[in-house]
Amino acid sequence: MRTTSGLRATFGALAAIFWKGIKHYTRYPGGFVIYLIMPFLFTILIFGMGQFVGGGNAASNFAARTGTTNIVVYEILGSAVWMTSWVVVEDVGVALRDEQMKGTLEQNFLAPVSRFTLLIGMSLTDIVITTVIFMIVVGATVAIVLPSGFLNIIQAFLTLLIGLVPLFGIGFLFAGFVVKFKEPYVFTQLINLIFATLTGTYYPVTFLPYWVQFMSGVLPQTYVIDDMRRIVLANQTLVSLYGSIFVLLSLALVYPVLGYAVFRYLEKKASVTGEFSKY
Amino acid sequence: MNPVEVNALSKTFETKEGPLFRKVPRTVVAVDGISFSVPKGEIFGLLGPNGAGKTTTIKMLCTLITPTSGDAYVAGFSVAKEQQKVRANLGVMLTGERTLYWKLTGRENLEYFAALYHMESSYTRKRIEELLTLVGLKEREGTLVENYSTGMRIRLSFAKALLNEAPVLLFDEPTASLDPQSSHLIRDIIRALKKGGHAIILTTHNMEEADILSDRVAIIDHGKIVSLGPPSELKQKVKSSDVIEIEGRNFSDQTADALQSFSEVSKAAYSLAEAAGEKGLLRIHTEKGKEVLPKILEFLVRKQATITKVSFIEPTLEDVFIAETGRSLRD
Repeated sequence: MRTTSGLRATFGALAAIFWKGIKHYTRYPGGFVIYLIMPFLFTILIFGMGQFVGGGNAASNFAARTGTTNIVVYEILGSAVWMTSWVVVEDVGVALRDEQMKGTLEQNFLAPVSRFTLLIGMSLTDIVITTVIFMIVVGATVAIVLPSGFLNIIQAFLTLLIGLVPLFGIGFLFAGFVVKFKEPYVFTQLINLIFATLTGTYYPVTFLPYWVQFMSGVLPQTYVIDDMRRIVLANQTLVSLYGSIFVLLSLALVYPVLGYAVFRYLEKKASVTGEFSKY
Repeated sequence: MNPVEVNALSKTFETKEGPLFRKVPRTVVAVDGISFSVPKGEIFGLLGPNGAGKTTTIKMLCTLITPTSGDAYVAGFSVAKEQQKVRANLGVMLTGERTLYWKLTGRENLEYFAALYHMESSYTRKRIEELLTLVGLKEREGTLVENYSTGMRIRLSFAKALLNEAPVLLFDEPTASLDPQSSHLIRDIIRALKKGGHAIILTTHNMEEADILSDRVAIIDHGKIVSLGPPSELKQKVKSSDVIEIEGRNFSDQTADALQSFSEVSKAAYSLAEAAGEKGLLRIHTEKGKEVLPKILEFLVRKQATITKVSFIEPTLEDVFIAETGRSLRD
């Protein structure tokens, strides 16, 4: 057999995993459409709650507490980042369980490709998917509601790209839990709601109790959401936000290493107990 | 060193069973210190009833399950310590049709797995052409697997196992759920692979298949090899007995136990004649077939069993299993 080795082999495998993911998205388009619609629905929900429950002073209170009068862009940025983290946790974390239930996980694990390559390949698909979601959801909203902030979207997107790295680490962590303990949707639904609560998706984290803010501080989404709002709504630049970008870069080092270590540990445990083929 | 060397391989699963909060730990010995080797150009059959430990053995050999003790070597590499190298030297077909991506076409599935095996792209194209033609799927290569029949999916899964031209091939129930024509095709390919020098391990609970394909068979039960050798030699061991097969209704394990208490009967085993039928089969080993038959029939009639067919048959591998374990392979 004629085989490739080294980087060429790894890139070949990554490309195959990436394209398989893209083909699945295009052949099961429902999930992608939901990811596109949900940020708008959540924004409408939050906007409605503010309007109908918050009363006449809702808008001015919002401006006083968030520093902007543009409720729609503020909320859609939070929603878009939440959806991005949702995609990563679902796709990287749950995808392995999904493959386990389909019976294809063992087939992937039978091949001499490394587990790390498998996880990275799935993450590459997600970069494209989340980019498209971001560009459509945020791009369309800002273009319509805040045309003056449109050029800032590129910088906001760069923040998201940096934030994706630690997010994939969190995805790897969940992938390990899911392969070992099954019941992926219990994990992901809980964690997605916790993320929305802790990361300032719909309100500034500064209003959370101090001990909760500590938890927010270790989640990359907190920084991505805050930085994006500062860039799009307050015309700040990436350079001026160097402090939080530094934290994001640090989290980008910690989470992937931690996530992959936990994944490998739990995957080895699963290999001892024969979990790969269990439903 | 042979392409496959298995040395005292064992697997024990620790499980917890019972209702929530009252789970009781349980230890299951799935594979219990088995040893065997498979040289180049040999088809080695692992035969045993469901739950005997065949699939656990295969999964340890292909690195999906970590052995509890012992080791096995594939193409000279340890399954416990050199897993990547073991995988690169193995072609594996696991049982079932859900081993493929149903939303990809037949060709896309093979292309995907070829990349995971780090196959060169120009070679991949040529190899996929060959394999699709070999398993009769060339004309349906562009169809999504979800639109394939069960037989087509299993043939594609078989082709996937051959992609990397591995020196060692593991086939877990390769013809299960296949129609006779497809089974015939797969068996012919397996024979050709043997001629090509591949070491092949085949698990099956189909004794006819093990008999006609395997050069040597290991009969496995409760995780242990109870008999090992060429099918003809194994059958020779029970050749001195007459084997009576009685088909009918109202048979049970208790009927077989009662027959075994006859002094003339050395072994008796019960199984269902068909997977989803009422008819049962009794297989009786005796030194004095013609003399004891009237006594057996009288006993069965007294027990209100309905007898539809009685025959004296040539011993098969199933009889070897019965002689070794006192149970039918089809339990």
